Amino acid sequence: MKKRLRVLTLFLSVIMMLSLLSACGGNGNNSTASTDSGNSGSSNGGSEPKKDTITALLPPVTGNFQARFTEMEKEFNEMYPNLTLKIEPASWEDMTQKLDTQVNAGSPPDIAWIGSTGLSKYAALNVLLDLNPYLSDEVKADYDAVPLQSFQLGDAQYGLPAYMEIHSIGGNKQFLEEAGLDYKSVQQNGWTYDKFREAIAKGVVKNDKGETTRYGFVFATSGVTSKDYLGIMAKSAGLPEYFDKDLKYTYTSKNFLGLLTSLRQLIDDGSMPKELSSIDAGKRWNMFLTGQTMITGKGLSSFENSARLNNEKIKANDGSAVANSIEADYIVLPVPTFNGADYVPTSVVDGYIALRGKKDPSEEHKQNIALAMTYLSSGQVAANYSSEIFTTPVTASARALEPAESFERNADNVAASDIMKSKAIPARTDIPTDLAAEAIKIETEVIIPKLQALLANEITPQQMYDAVKAAATKSFGADGVVVD
Amino acid sequence: MNQTLTKRKKLKLESDSGWGYAFIAVALIAFCLFTAYPVINAFIISLQEYGPLGSTFVGLENFANSFSDELFWKALKNTLVYTLLTVPFNIFLSFLIAILIIPFKKRTQTIFKALYYLPAVASGVALAVVWLWIFDPLKTGIFNQLVGFFGVSNQNWLGSSATAMFSLVLMSWLSSHGTAIIIYLAALLGIDNSYYEAAEIDGATFLQKLWFIVVPFLKPTTLFLLVTGVIGSFQVFQNAYLMTGGGPDHATTMVGLLIFNNAFTYFEFGEAAAQSLVLAAIIGFISFLQFKFIGKDVEY
Repeated sequence: MKKRLRVLTLFLSVIMMLSLLSACGGNGNNSTASTDSGNSGSSNGGSEPKKDTITALLPPVTGNFQARFTEMEKEFNEMYPNLTLKIEPASWEDMTQKLDTQVNAGSPPDIAWIGSTGLSKYAALNVLLDLNPYLSDEVKADYDAVPLQSFQLGDAQYGLPAYMEIHSIGGNKQFLEEAGLDYKSVQQNGWTYDKFREAIAKGVVKNDKGETTRYGFVFATSGVTSKDYLGIMAKSAGLPEYFDKDLKYTYTSKNFLGLLTSLRQLIDDGSMPKELSSIDAGKRWNMFLTGQTMITGKGLSSFENSARLNNEKIKANDGSAVANSIEADYIVLPVPTFNGADYVPTSVVDGYIALRGKKDPSEEHKQNIALAMTYLSSGQVAANYSSEIFTTPVTASARALEPAESFERNADNVAASDIMKSKAIPARTDIPTDLAAEAIKIETEVIIPKLQALLANEITPQQMYDAVKAAATKSFGADGVVVD
Repeated sequence: MNQTLTKRKKLKLESDSGWGYAFIAVALIAFCLFTAYPVINAFIISLQEYGPLGSTFVGLENFANSFSDELFWKALKNTLVYTLLTVPFNIFLSFLIAILIIPFKKRTQTIFKALYYLPAVASGVALAVVWLWIFDPLKTGIFNQLVGFFGVSNQNWLGSSATAMFSLVLMSWLSSHGTAIIIYLAALLGIDNSYYEAAEIDGATFLQKLWFIVVPFLKPTTLFLLVTGVIGSFQVFQNAYLMTGGGPDHATTMVGLLIFNNAFTYFEFGEAAAQSLVLAAIIGFISFLQFKFIGKDVEY
């Protein structure tokens, strides 16, 4: 009896160990299956194409996107009977970490979703596949030039765009009118920092005790949005990129100091909350819907729909409306221009990249990755998600199709978005990956922490400027930075 | 006859030993695979410029880079400050709560144990969300309403260098005592009543009993909690990552967060591995000092 018990215990312990080991080996097996199928796919009689599996790691781009994965896999298989598209869903929170872990373990999916600004990070690891040999001119012609270029580095086409959006700001129509702002003119002609500063000062409302009950402008600067505020404003402050055409780091120019001074001024004016450095994306949207701010940022076209849905809930006396919220019509506005610079919108291009693991995939597998990526980024698939995020598709094939679901949009907002998009500049493809990586490090280790301190009024704009200049000079040398 | 008996005993012993080795082997394999191998691998990676498709040997460059990095020293200082502010106070508070719970009947004790242990069961992320709500920087925030009663204007708890570290420390003070309380309660129940009875006969006060009986008897437990507390505190990551992201201006950047950023933001796995090993050495050294100076008269 005693011996049986021992054997059973030992058996259970071994089972536990094996379970642990098999759990650890899960990801690698997937990848191997995918890569092997690319390398040694089985032939069905010589002339028939080889069977292959393409894996993709995709986030919930829209509320319905992941729900359509099974349908998309089936449709792709009907188009290419020898190919299997295997899509792994990931949450937005997990997406980057999951992908980075798989990439660094040498077993990434064939296709992954990223923002185009992350391209250099993966290029530096040599894990990206150049799709140029596998994309025909006809396929490439389907895509708009600016978003397509966002997935290029040098001459290599490392991925395909899914959509292009502009990071703007958005106002409450009623409050804008009360502040006497001709928002339609701003939508069409833009505005300078001085005009913007004056407008948001008029948007401030105080109670009898002198406490602010409504701010003129609130921008999310905490958490995942920490780099957005400065980055978006810098584009229209004469600093469209970290590097100029001579590959000199630009945030050492006086334009940067001017921008920092302006951003601090908006808080000192009382137009923005002094606690701005702790306001995250959820909080500032809550402040917009509850009437605690006239204008909010960053803004996306889809916010119009979020506000509209909340308005409907309020009208229907639905308990799921945001607590204490008021009816608010969302008005799309461009960010102001600083330092007398031209307006340059922050275009956000998200899309798909092609990745390789430790083994170099076969030519046939690369071709199949290109087919799957084209399917995911154009036609009906793109038409559906573009409509759901309130943006115009970036492919002619998607624009020509009716989306599964259409939404009502404010005509002024559509026109404003189109004007902003028309001013989007193509992504730089000439910045070497090592320079880009160093700039990201300065952004994370110096710019964002110092910006938090600046917003919290712990350092002056000059101190922040000096800190960034010192870090940039250390990284790129005195000749590698802009001096003016 | 006698010889046969000895042989049988020996065989039985060997047979028992065999089973022992078999059971130890399971744990040993798990240790080798999930602890020893990663540590050895981390050491190898720390000498390389790591890349998923191939790494380059760089010697001690990653260690040199870490030691010359101001941020690494700042993160070490922050971690040390956090440890000094949280570990002793948390141990003291757990001890105090355990002392307050022990006089109750077993059922009441169980209720208190369950209540204090509840945060340990809850997800750290969920707790962080609740704390973010408590530390809301606007005047509607719970803490801001609380300090408002005393005429203090609303504070930017997590967004200001003056209060960010204190906010994380406060979060630790108020939310992580369950395990220590249960361990202290178990140790308190292990003290024989005869000691208290003898002390009462001698006319000892409550505080004297506490100082001359309870504190010495709980010394091994306190040492255990101190060592594990310091180790845990030096490895702190989650709260800083979720609550402040290390900011503002690196006021709450801990070594754990810095290692994470180096590995998963910049893909500098070599430097991250080097910093992990330095952190492990520091923790090992502090644990050694604790055992040497505090644990010298502790008997197990």
